Amino acid sequence: MTTPQRLVIIGYGMTAHRLIEDLRSRDREGCWRITVVGEEPRLAYNRVALTDRLAGATERDLALAGPELLGDPLVESRTATRATGIDRASRTVLTTDGAPLPYDALVLATGAVAFRPPVPGADLPGCLPYRTLADVDAIRSAAVPGEPVVVVGGGLLGLETAEALRRHLGMRPYVVEAAPRLMPAQLDAPAARLLAVRLRHAGLRLHCGVPLRCVEADADGRVCGVRLEDGTRIATRLVVFSAGIRPRDDLAEPAGLARGERGGFLVDGHCRTPAPDIWAVGDCAALRGRCHGTVAPGYRMAEAVAGQLLGAPAEGPGLAADETDTVLKVPGTEVASVGDAHARTPGAVELSYTQGAQGSPETRYAKLVLDSDARVLLGAVLVGHGRAHPLLRSVLGRELPSSPEHLLLGEPRR
Amino acid sequence: MNGYTQRIQPGRPAGDVVIVGGGPVGHRLAERLHHHGHQGTVTLLDAEPGHAYHRVLLTSVLDGGLDPADLELPPVPGARGRRDVRVTGVDRRRQRVGTANGESHRYDTLVLATGAEPRIPAVPGMHTASGRLIDGITGLRSLADCARVRGERVVVLGAGPLGVETAVALRRSGRDVSLVHPGPHPLNRWLDATAGDLLARHLVSLGIRVETGRSAARVEAGELVLDDGGLLTWDTLVCCTGTEPRTELARAAGLRVRTGVLVDGEMRTSDPHVRAVGDCAEHPGWFPGLLASGWDQADLLARTLTGHRSGGRRPRTVLRLRVPGLHLGVLGRPGLHREAGAAEGDVVTFSDPSRGRYATLAVDPAGRLSSAVLVGLPQALATLTQLHDARRPLPDDRLALLLGETAVGRRTSVLPPQDADTVLCRCNNVTALTLTGAWQNGSRSLRALADTTRVTTGCGTCADQIRELCAQLATAEKPVARHEPPVDARASGR
Ligand SMILES: Cc1cc2nc3c(=O)[nH]c(=O)nc-3n(C[C@H](O)[C@H](O)[C@H](O)COP(=O)(O)OP(=O)(O)OC[C@H]3O[C@@H](n4cnc5c(N)ncnc54)[C@H](O)[C@@H]3O)c2cc1C
Ligand SMILES: Cc1cc2nc3c(=O)[nH]c(=O)nc-3n(C[C@H](O)[C@H](O)[C@H](O)COP(=O)(O)OP(=O)(O)OC[C@H]3O[C@@H](n4cnc5c(N)ncnc54)[C@H](O)[C@@H]3O)c2cc1C
Repeated sequence: MTTPQRLVIIGYGMTAHRLIEDLRSRDREGCWRITVVGEEPRLAYNRVALTDRLAGATERDLALAGPELLGDPLVESRTATRATGIDRASRTVLTTDGAPLPYDALVLATGAVAFRPPVPGADLPGCLPYRTLADVDAIRSAAVPGEPVVVVGGGLLGLETAEALRRHLGMRPYVVEAAPRLMPAQLDAPAARLLAVRLRHAGLRLHCGVPLRCVEADADGRVCGVRLEDGTRIATRLVVFSAGIRPRDDLAEPAGLARGERGGFLVDGHCRTPAPDIWAVGDCAALRGRCHGTVAPGYRMAEAVAGQLLGAPAEGPGLAADETDTVLKVPGTEVASVGDAHARTPGAVELSYTQGAQGSPETRYAKLVLDSDARVLLGAVLVGHGRAHPLLRSVLGRELPSSPEHLLLGEPRR
Repeated sequence: MNGYTQRIQPGRPAGDVVIVGGGPVGHRLAERLHHHGHQGTVTLLDAEPGHAYHRVLLTSVLDGGLDPADLELPPVPGARGRRDVRVTGVDRRRQRVGTANGESHRYDTLVLATGAEPRIPAVPGMHTASGRLIDGITGLRSLADCARVRGERVVVLGAGPLGVETAVALRRSGRDVSLVHPGPHPLNRWLDATAGDLLARHLVSLGIRVETGRSAARVEAGELVLDDGGLLTWDTLVCCTGTEPRTELARAAGLRVRTGVLVDGEMRTSDPHVRAVGDCAEHPGWFPGLLASGWDQADLLARTLTGHRSGGRRPRTVLRLRVPGLHLGVLGRPGLHREAGAAEGDVVTFSDPSRGRYATLAVDPAGRLSSAVLVGLPQALATLTQLHDARRPLPDDRLALLLGETAVGRRTSVLPPQDADTVLCRCNNVTALTLTGAWQNGSRSLRALADTTRVTTGCGTCADQIRELCAQLATAEKPVARHEPPVDARASGR
């Protein structure tokens, strides 16, 4: 048995975990010894399920690693350790933890941070991001039932956060979104309107189309309110930022690695940086220039890199272009967006169905995006059609097998 | 809306009828009275000089497609038609009307069919010191108005149906045309933003300057100043800014008038011997200002006056724009159709921006169409018009309904077969069966059918359908009553 090569992974989040798992299960010969360096003081956990923590989930409920991985002699995890630099010449990673770590292969899996809008007061005590378990614990201890909380960001995550704060902690959430409508990336205007009706009905207060101007402090220097660009003031002692993410790519510059146009380590369709022994996966990777920010593409990247480390040729088509499939994790909304929701494909046509009165939380909406022959499903936006979502997702890219009404509503009504 | 059934009063015949106003509705009433066997005399008095004519075809005179003589209506048998005679007063006690040239006519039944006149907006600079419209400014309602259009540069104010059609006609005659409209898009009382934008794009592609979101601030010699400071030069300024019912006679006679002359379900004014029909009449059951409403009223009144029962359901409100190259139609009443989400039921929207096609359908809980806007989908418009008229539920596959069997051939065809009693010419209420009969009796062209059945001689928008029917009849000699669905639809898996 030859001595294993050394793989260093920077960042111990969801995709790092998937990479380790995948590599260990496929590396029968034990070719690789893995060292994973994670800044958080714990092993990787299920970040996607973080909102469960607001409902009382324990750390164990969120844990990803099973006992076999923990006892694996070829995996060493260094938690509460931050990588501070990469020396490509000597092939070592510098950490806050003493001696440089030598590598034969290096994978960057540093994820992302919650974006804080650059407004005055955004880092006052009482302003919290929503990204890590520590963040959520801080929010939990700052939460007071019945009190207002301002959630900055009306996207997928902001809405999920706001509704969880209401449902699990009994707070009165205000959502502040700069764009004129909710979830602008995933929804069209009618769907966003209906979603707003549903959320308001559930008790959220929504301010769309008005950016945050500043966070205001009281005499003690703690948050006491926010002010919007139109002058509106909302009194609150807690502000949560869920207004998008920024890839963590601060190691790029000192290591001489390129960045994508909107940040992230620039990699090709096989997650390779220009350096032959360095890859990037997950939220921090700008795959062909584009960052993804959801876990499924991150997992595909981790699997692709595991394969390459085990000698699978990095050829073929590379990772599939983005196939978006988004479901809003707010119970009762049944909001989903699949594929080319904005009909950007040249020649695409749109077909939409609205059922019920405008302004009613019961009203349902479905938009199908079809190719120019109105045959092939390219995308969909759904509100109140929870049942149709998996069906449509499975039809994506293929000809509609039956009439749209049938797909959306099941059996024909007449 | 219960004006269709009527109490038959054989003891009280309508007697001698005087109709004031020989526009399309007054003319139709005279013709219908004759048709239903009216016993007394019919006198039709109109202030306009020259022959009675098809008002809705006036824009065809503007674009040079038709000569004024082509618009003439045939004389009504049995009626005394007088032109160039203005009625100046009604003596209700003595049941007489007096005219400007000193005539006096007695009536048993007086019918006001005085129509409407263009509303000239209150823009500074439009009138002379003595209160007359300055030269070159006109409404568009009569042949005389058409004759007032001169010069190369025309500004049309108002982009309702009349403004849009007028602008297109003038542009087609080679003029330089600007269309000024305060709304966000043309026809904004009828169309949502998507359909309105398609229409605006089409107008621009024809070379019309479309100035939406703007209104006229001031008129100066040969120039129009807009509210944003913009300047448009004009040789003619056409006001298509709405109409007002002509009610002076009714008011002076002491009849009840609101916007129009108030009538009941049998077109009776506050004086039982005086009726009113067409654009001058007001009744909540009819959409105002539409020829179809006026013609329905004329038929209803003729039946009432001759002791006949009502003639069944009237066709429902339809707007079809006479803009060559753009198939745009509105079914049902606009406004009830704003945005997505009528009171209840479904709204289905289809949008194909790259090919300029758009549809939005509001469907009631029983699956029937309550209203629709369609652009660029002529076949679907025809099908939906039939279903709408017949108040039949729509087929479930709305995509197939909109695109026809070609786009969704693998599915069951949904185009309903044409019934024999399908009304093809809505203006003249001509059914497929009537046309087939006329065809078999020798009227074997569009022109011949027009002469024998009056088909296409109303708004003219059914001409394409009739041509198609002629072609079908010519190839098959098959009666429409057993008209089969298109062959390729049947082949598609029934
Ligand atoms: C509340 C919440 C809900 C979400 N819900 C969904 C969902 O429903 N569906 C979905 O697809 N996605 C969801 N996401 C996004 C999803 O969690 C991320 O896409 C996924 O976690 C990305 O994994 P990653 O490994 O790339 O990054 P991360 O999970 O962010 O892990 C990166 C790790 O690297 C560490 N790190 C960074 N820099 C260094 C350094 N220099 N040295 C050492 N360690 C470092 C970080 O501390 C972090 O622990 C959610 C995210 C949140 C916060
Ligand atoms: C260019 C154009 C296109 C149109 N297209 C359409 C269309 O596609 N669909 C649609 O539904 N509608 C359309 N309309 C509207 C339609 O023309 C009117 O609804 C219709 O003309 C109303 O008929 P009427 O007989 O009630 O009134 P009018 O046509 O206005 O006729 C009234 C007549 O009464 C006469 N009169 C008035 N007062 C007196 C008096 N005191 N003495 C004697 N005579 C008098 C007038 O001179 C006039 O001839 C269009 C209108 C125009 C101008």
